[in-house]
Amino acid sequence: MAKIAFDERGADHLLLMREEHGNVAPALISKGEDVGDVRLDVPYQLITILETVYSWVPKGKIAVITRRCDEKALAELTKRGYVDEKRMVNIGLACSKEQVAMCRCSDPVPSKVDLGEPNKPAPIDELSEKLARMTPDERLQFWVKQFRKCNKCFACTHNCPVCFCDDCVLEERTFVAEQSIPPGLSFHMIRSYHLIDKCIECGECERSCPAEIPLLTLRKMLARDMKKAYGFVPGDPKTVSPLNTTLEGEQMEEECDEC
Amino acid sequence: MSVKHVLTTCPYCGTGCNFFLQVADGRLVGVVPCKTDEISLGRLCIKGYNAHAFVQHPDRLKHPMIREGGQLRRVTWEQAMDRIVKEITRIRDKYGPDSIAVLASAKCTNEENYLFQKLARAAIGTNNVDHCARLCHASTVSGLLFSFGSGAMTNTIPEFDNAECILITGSNTLEAHPMIGARMLRALDKGAKIIVVDPRETPLSRISHLSLHQRPGTDISWINGMIKIIIDEGLVNEEFVKQRTTAFDELKEVVKDYTAEKVQATTGIPKEKLVEAARLYARTDKAMIAYAMGITQHSNGTNLVKAMANLAMVTGHIGRESTGLNPLRGQCNVQGACDAGGLPNLFPGYQRVDDPESKAKFEKAWGKQLPGSPGLTLTCAMKEAMAGKVKAMIIFGENVMISDPDLGHLEEAIEELEFLAVADIFPSETVQKANVVLPAACYAEKEGTFTSTDRAIRLLRKAVDPPGEARPDWVIACDMGKRLGSSGFDFSSPAEVMDEMASLTPQYAGIDFGRIDKQVLRWPCPTKEHQGTKILHTQKFTKGLGVFAPVHHAPPMEEPSEDYPFILTTGRNLFQYHTGTMTRRSPKLEREAPEPYVEINKSDAKRLGIKDGERVAVSSKRGSITLKARVTDRIILGSIFIPFHYAEAAANRLTNAALDPIAHIPELKVCAAKVAKA
Repeated sequence: MAKIAFDERGADHLLLMREEHGNVAPALISKGEDVGDVRLDVPYQLITILETVYSWVPKGKIAVITRRCDEKALAELTKRGYVDEKRMVNIGLACSKEQVAMCRCSDPVPSKVDLGEPNKPAPIDELSEKLARMTPDERLQFWVKQFRKCNKCFACTHNCPVCFCDDCVLEERTFVAEQSIPPGLSFHMIRSYHLIDKCIECGECERSCPAEIPLLTLRKMLARDMKKAYGFVPGDPKTVSPLNTTLEGEQMEEECDEC
Repeated sequence: MSVKHVLTTCPYCGTGCNFFLQVADGRLVGVVPCKTDEISLGRLCIKGYNAHAFVQHPDRLKHPMIREGGQLRRVTWEQAMDRIVKEITRIRDKYGPDSIAVLASAKCTNEENYLFQKLARAAIGTNNVDHCARLCHASTVSGLLFSFGSGAMTNTIPEFDNAECILITGSNTLEAHPMIGARMLRALDKGAKIIVVDPRETPLSRISHLSLHQRPGTDISWINGMIKIIIDEGLVNEEFVKQRTTAFDELKEVVKDYTAEKVQATTGIPKEKLVEAARLYARTDKAMIAYAMGITQHSNGTNLVKAMANLAMVTGHIGRESTGLNPLRGQCNVQGACDAGGLPNLFPGYQRVDDPESKAKFEKAWGKQLPGSPGLTLTCAMKEAMAGKVKAMIIFGENVMISDPDLGHLEEAIEELEFLAVADIFPSETVQKANVVLPAACYAEKEGTFTSTDRAIRLLRKAVDPPGEARPDWVIACDMGKRLGSSGFDFSSPAEVMDEMASLTPQYAGIDFGRIDKQVLRWPCPTKEHQGTKILHTQKFTKGLGVFAPVHHAPPMEEPSEDYPFILTTGRNLFQYHTGTMTRRSPKLEREAPEPYVEINKSDAKRLGIKDGERVAVSSKRGSITLKARVTDRIILGSIFIPFHYAEAAANRLTNAALDPIAHIPELKVCAAKVAKA
């Protein structure tokens, strides 16, 4: 790992996961430091961690262990200028079969595989299919039942790599009342729609949800709509969201980097 | 550039979630959940995600201070400690050691609490040492010591996942212990039946299978009623009762009058629902009980806990996986502060101070003559201060000026003291009363251990330096002990303190920092090879046979009257924590719950002409506060609820300091009150 990051790709720092205190921990190390016992089997959301610490690393290239979804998250960040592409070094990790199954992932192989063996995408998200077959009322009841478990921990935004607004709309009283638990349906709808052209389906929201609300399925259903309506899929460094345009058809500039 | 992820333990409730503090160049910049932590499973509640937010707040106490001419003035540590030692020595010489009381802290580590009680007992010479467990689970300790012989959660947090029935009472689990609540949700998703008994609707009761609303202060009635139904319908676990328990006949005799009709009249719980709950709990194989302050904070709290123990024993739902009686402890280290002997009648490990053998053991270890009779409880120490018998207090990290009942009288008692020293992290309401103030390090700035509610001993690891001249409490306690002329305070690290504590505390004998650095160990852990104990009372109860206690319903000390027609009950909300010193300085938490409020039933509000959001005055015989009305159908008719976090409308100005005769826990959950438009 150190060899790929520091010697072959010229990184100065490396963000990885390793064993510490009988647990697996995220760690940012610098060139020359011991990498320790690297662990690839625990899916920490390193891009979210990178965003927090990025401004504290003023110089040098940062290598990050990147799954395919992490690559896409980085693309969304660099497009918006949050992270300087020239400072980033990706170390591609192909997800295990188990991880692919857990994420019902349709795109599990990074553009360059440095670690792990490439696996086939998961065929379908069964829950999405099941929900699609339900009547609108059944579907609504399903989600109401799920969202009633929400305890407003904000894990779904806190841990999300593409949730980066300075002022979060979910913390704005006009849209989400304070103190309400569970928050209304709109809480989840605002969140998912706000991410509709950014979410890269890493599944971190679902993994970190204490109530185990199937948030990744909610996303997959919306992603299908987004693709159908606009032919757009987030995560490509070269494309721009169709929603990021003015009414005159020009791309928005300056007005809102975040959207 | 320095970026670290430091694994440590959450400073809020007693669940004991571990997470990483993100530190960049000495600044705390965030919290990352630990995905491999077997308690949190890589998930946190909103308080956990904001546990870094208050640490480097500008309000932190940074320098020692001495009050002169009514003003607190900055001094050196030398001057502050000199003053404390001079005053404590003077007062001890003049009035005797029992005129001094030390308050330990459920927010401090095991090692610190061990030192606090050693300071009181060995250096000052009094058993007057207590802490806020007196206000939360004192009755659990006394009640379960009687019934089982051990006053702690019988099972572990992860076991909630696999329960088939969970009876939750007096616990708003999703708000007060969110990650335990999450386990209950997981059980629910897997098909478990959840029964909630609470005067209020809670986030969990709204999705439970059965939600029973009792009038506050009537709990023994419904518990005895359930036991009667279980006996009458032949649902008693006869084999368990015969082999593992004693005094069942006395229990039978007591519960025979608690017919479902009578229980309905007393509690307001419809009899069909009570029958359904009793059958469901008794008939399910893996049935757990979780309870908290709704059971303990009553003037008959000890009896209430014993009644819960009766219910668990009668069905044999104890001593096996995913069963048991599980008191949820509310502070990060309230379990540990009790374990470490921060109690006036007990040495570390629940060894009695009036047991000659235990006393001799500690006298030998500490090389000191020790006082042989139990000291004053926190609640009694305050009354004795009022009576002029307690003259000085040293308070480590407790904000009694908000957390204790009947604050009007408490304030007078505190002002009666000749000397008050307070070590804290923020200028709390209690700090404002102190003669000497010591700035302490918080959880993120020191090492040590917390014992969580399921007896797991979890490490704190230092992430950042304390602000200014602040010091960890263990350093302060050692310094104070030495200056008071006592030996046995020469420790160079918390690990060394734990080694001494482990050598004197049988339940902790197998614990050392090296072991718990890598694994979760739960006490009892009697040897270095022992892997800890998940489930208590598997073969026999700690005291041998479990004892049924014949307990009767008794009304609360104060019942509604013509002048004060409402029952006031108090508690927490999800976003604030206790007296708010930490959460109210965490912007995202404060945003969610920025102001005090009283929950009142829609019909009651309508009758009084009170609209949602209107300001009202709530009064009891002891005081009055003004706050916003929250008109809701989530509380039963005739009862009102106020969270106790808010100094500007402190619920404890109203609460009753009536005490349970055994545990000395105050009746924080029931008093009579009136509501009027402000």
